[in-house]
Amino acid sequence: MQNEIILKADNIVKYFYEPDKFQVLKRVGFEVKRGEFVALVGKSGSGKSTLLYVLSTMDTDYEGGLTIKDTLLSNKNQNELAAFRNEHIGFVFQFHYLLPEFSALENVMIPALKLNKKSKEEIEASAYENLKLLGLDDQALKKANKLSGGQQQRVAIARALINKPSIIMGDEPTGNLDSKNSQVVFDIFREISKERGQTIIAVTHDDDFANNCDRIIEMMDGKLLNK
Amino acid sequence: MASYINIRISQIHLTSNIKQTIVAMLGVTFGISMYVFMTGFMTGANNAQNDLAFSSLAHIRVYNDCPADNTNIATKFFPNSLVDLHNAKIIKYTDGIKNSNTILNALKSKKDITEVTTQVNVNVFFKNAGNKVNGSVSGVDVVNENKVFNTSKYITEGNWNELKQRSDGIFVAVDLAKNLSLKVNDNLNILTSDGISKNYKVIGIFKTDVASIDKSRAYININAARQLIGANQSYATDIQINIKDYNKTDHIINQIAPIIPYKTESWQMANQQLVAGSSLRDIIAIAISLVILIVAGFGIYNIMNMTINQKIREIAILKAMGFSGPDVTQIFLTQAIVIGIIGGFIGLGFGYLTAILVNKIPFEVAGMLTLPMAYTLKDYILAFMFGLVTTFIAGYIPARKASKIDPVTILRG
Repeated sequence: MQNEIILKADNIVKYFYEPDKFQVLKRVGFEVKRGEFVALVGKSGSGKSTLLYVLSTMDTDYEGGLTIKDTLLSNKNQNELAAFRNEHIGFVFQFHYLLPEFSALENVMIPALKLNKKSKEEIEASAYENLKLLGLDDQALKKANKLSGGQQQRVAIARALINKPSIIMGDEPTGNLDSKNSQVVFDIFREISKERGQTIIAVTHDDDFANNCDRIIEMMDGKLLNK
Repeated sequence: MASYINIRISQIHLTSNIKQTIVAMLGVTFGISMYVFMTGFMTGANNAQNDLAFSSLAHIRVYNDCPADNTNIATKFFPNSLVDLHNAKIIKYTDGIKNSNTILNALKSKKDITEVTTQVNVNVFFKNAGNKVNGSVSGVDVVNENKVFNTSKYITEGNWNELKQRSDGIFVAVDLAKNLSLKVNDNLNILTSDGISKNYKVIGIFKTDVASIDKSRAYININAARQLIGANQSYATDIQINIKDYNKTDHIINQIAPIIPYKTESWQMANQQLVAGSSLRDIIAIAISLVILIVAGFGIYNIMNMTINQKIREIAILKAMGFSGPDVTQIFLTQAIVIGIIGGFIGLGFGYLTAILVNKIPFEVAGMLTLPMAYTLKDYILAFMFGLVTTFIAGYIPARKASKIDPVTILRG
């Protein structure tokens, strides 16, 4: 069970065309197992963020194969990919990107309402549970723009978890937080991957963060350095 | 289908910046209320003019037209001849309608015809001692004349029905009476072109507000008129017909023209300036209203564009979380349509109020008391539809733009 392959990248090649044609990803290939906590590191310009957005299925302009949960995604169209992301991938970004006029609770509910597999009451209950897990149950009805930076990021994590996705992707999830809040976020990720078997792939510049992960994938000049 | 969450997001967008939403709605409200008011006003003006016109004009007139053009009768029969004929004398065989009763019977069987009346119109001189005025006297079928032209409405003195019994009675138009210094119970002498002179007693005065009629027209009983020109009991110069819908004269004329051996003419043919005036007013009203609606459309377009630029990160995150392009289009299109529907309904109400108010402004010209106004359900529905189409287009363009936002470029910053 623990050795089940959840994500497989196969010879991924990507070019940037602006300002000049430039190969950012040079035949990148690796596998990630279920429940693994992976840090994607490298200097800026090494292609790690680009790789993350390819893995996230949002960027479709690449060559090579991407398989998540035994589904080949490289040949699907934008709308199919959107539906896939909704169910199987959660996102945490450097900035929280919450919808400011919605309450914290509603922000957490949005992906589940979009998935539309449970009743509104069930979704509300599990959103509340997620907020409780992150210590925000007392802030549930506050508007998102009334919360502090650390609280907002935790709401964003609760939102990423609501559909119980197989993979959670983070683009510098602690990049905008102080060390105390960074530790909180790291501990949450740690717990999720260990206890729920959800895979985490996070781009980070934070060495402490990376060193405490299960595995570090380092990139340089569009290639993987080690596995 | 619109999902709950898409509608909820639209709702939050609409209510979070309520001022912006109201400004967008006001655009639609103003456009639609102007449309409703302008078309109501123009239709009212057209109706008022038609009412005025139909006080002396029937929907269809049957009469004996002048004979064909015979200015060069020789070439008519010998096309290749070089004969030139001067002072050709044309003998007119028939004058007026000799057998009006058979035509009346034929017309009565047509179900779209509501009223028919016969007239004997004679050009005469009205004389009061040395005072002589050129004009025409109408011999009328008293009861049916009133049904077609509503003549009794225009009587200012006397009783219209008295004309039924009085073969010596005459109703005189108000300005004509003034010019001849006549009042009720005075005598009036009439001289026809055939040189026949006859005295009548003025039993009433009428006023139509059509100046040319008020200066030259008088009514006598139709039998008195037949007697005046020595015609038979079935003789008429005109048969005037009213139909159910005065815009559908062509249809009736196509039915009756083949069975009547005389000229049939619709009011539109006889008065093309009226038709042109009505059409031009309609075109102007619609043009102005559409321009206003288009301006309102641009307003919505601008506000939607602004909203989308403000919320571009929100849209990107929605797409990252699995909202598809069509979902995003739906979210923003819903907002535009809600603005259109609410703004539209308020616009209809506001336009109706404006119409009522303007309808109360005094305007005492040509028999009117206030500015004319029409309240047509069809125009209200049409205005609403136009408003909805405008907002749909104005909302769709920015919504589609939003749906095409690439989340990667926005989220990577």
